[in-house]
Amino acid sequence: MLTIKGLEVRYGAITAVRGVDLEIRKGEIVALLGANGAGKSTIARSIAGLLPFQGEIAFEGERLTPGTAEKNLRRGIALVPEGRGILARMTVHENLLMGIYTRSDKSAAMADVDKMLERFPILGKRRDGLASLLSGGEQQMLAIGRALLSKPKLLLLDEPSLGLAPLMTASLFSMIAQFRDEGLTVLLVEQKARQTLKIVDRAYLLETGRVVTSGSAEALINDPTLSEAFLGGTH
Amino acid sequence: MSTYYASLLAESGILLLGALSVYIILATGQLSLGNGAFMGIGAYLSSYLTVALNVPLTLALVIAAIAAGIIGAIVAFPALRLKGIYLAMATVGFGEMVRSFFLNFDAMGGSGGYRGMQHISVGYVWLWAGGILIAVMLLERSRVWLEMQAVHDDETAAGLIGLNTTVTKIGAFGAGAAVAAISGGLFAHHNVYIEPANFGFDRSIEFVLAVILGGSTVGPGSLVGSLLLVFLPEFLRPIADWRLAAFGTLLILVLLVRRQGILDRSLIRTLTFRRAAA
Repeated sequence: MLTIKGLEVRYGAITAVRGVDLEIRKGEIVALLGANGAGKSTIARSIAGLLPFQGEIAFEGERLTPGTAEKNLRRGIALVPEGRGILARMTVHENLLMGIYTRSDKSAAMADVDKMLERFPILGKRRDGLASLLSGGEQQMLAIGRALLSKPKLLLLDEPSLGLAPLMTASLFSMIAQFRDEGLTVLLVEQKARQTLKIVDRAYLLETGRVVTSGSAEALINDPTLSEAFLGGTH
Repeated sequence: MSTYYASLLAESGILLLGALSVYIILATGQLSLGNGAFMGIGAYLSSYLTVALNVPLTLALVIAAIAAGIIGAIVAFPALRLKGIYLAMATVGFGEMVRSFFLNFDAMGGSGGYRGMQHISVGYVWLWAGGILIAVMLLERSRVWLEMQAVHDDETAAGLIGLNTTVTKIGAFGAGAAVAAISGGLFAHHNVYIEPANFGFDRSIEFVLAVILGGSTVGPGSLVGSLLLVFLPEFLRPIADWRLAAFGTLLILVLLVRRQGILDRSLIRTLTFRRAAA
């Protein structure tokens, strides 16, 4: 579904991503793991079309060009950014309405908004409340719900567990695992490696902008060297 | 109605339009401190059209609004790279550039000003002011407004939702400039004399102040702000020389108590519910 070859991204003089090759197959949940500054978010933002890049990113056989977030969303790539990207002055309902912005089937889309409020009952309860008044976990649900409403083929989640309490993180990860049953393809950018490897099919480990290893979640989670070197013993 | 009060009412209608011009741009998170310049463009262009070419005033205002809207959109292009205080400073620079242009533009009187316009009534001013206020309030209920708010709240998130943030920001700037130009055209034809000093930095600040004081999150806030800015100093006349100091103090107090301005969404909702329940 998504193929990346020789991806290179620079922020001025600093090279954040160097020659990354990556592949995501349809229906998979794939993780990008690594410490802060490893280049995980940069890769996700490049796929979404937010950053200029060199190299090749192809989605469903079509080569993506940099700086085309709007077009990429219409192609079926939705990114939930780090920090959630909640529209703070809007209500929960208005935030969800923005999720159907690119859809042409408006009546079905409106019905999907109502379904989304049922799927996340806490959002339903706070339908007309300001999004800025939601807790961190609720805001993350809102951000994911809004992204799902665009009916993406590939969902990019950039550190969704950041700043969430352990219980909320566990519930969030179990929700992400369910996306596989719904046929959604997910690229999950995370630092909480052990928890992430329990729900993903495959993972890529990054260090200073390079992929240092990749493989099935099972293989990576049982690799003590990798665990010590990249994931931390207790994560 | 006495000439005195009619003049104040016309002044507040003109200020309302100027405030709305700032409000529309502010809705996308951009602060313009140069809307006095768009007002000046509207004033000079509409005056030239009515005086020199005998174009009917309403048509002249529409032409001036379109011209200023196009200039506003052109100005917005380079401004897209700027945010916050840097954008505000760039608009100040644009304002000074326009003021300086009219100061040296002898064909329109230069520093001596331009005259010959036909006086318009306060009713005509408020026909425009009220009409545009209603249009803005209708816009606030539309999808376009949600797009503008999304750009204001988080431009990156707005892009990820699929919005074309560039079009939204340029469109808001163009629309704001057009409304400011109408304000200028009405000012010129109400006062029947204009000079470059009428459209300087002070004027731009007055627009911003009306929005901030009245409420920067709802359209009717501009109405409240404009009425207060025009009428309050007049009501304070009994304290003679101290009235402007008292006015300034009142302004600071209001903003200390209500940072979002006098009117906001929740206050409007409360007032509406109370009326409905009564």
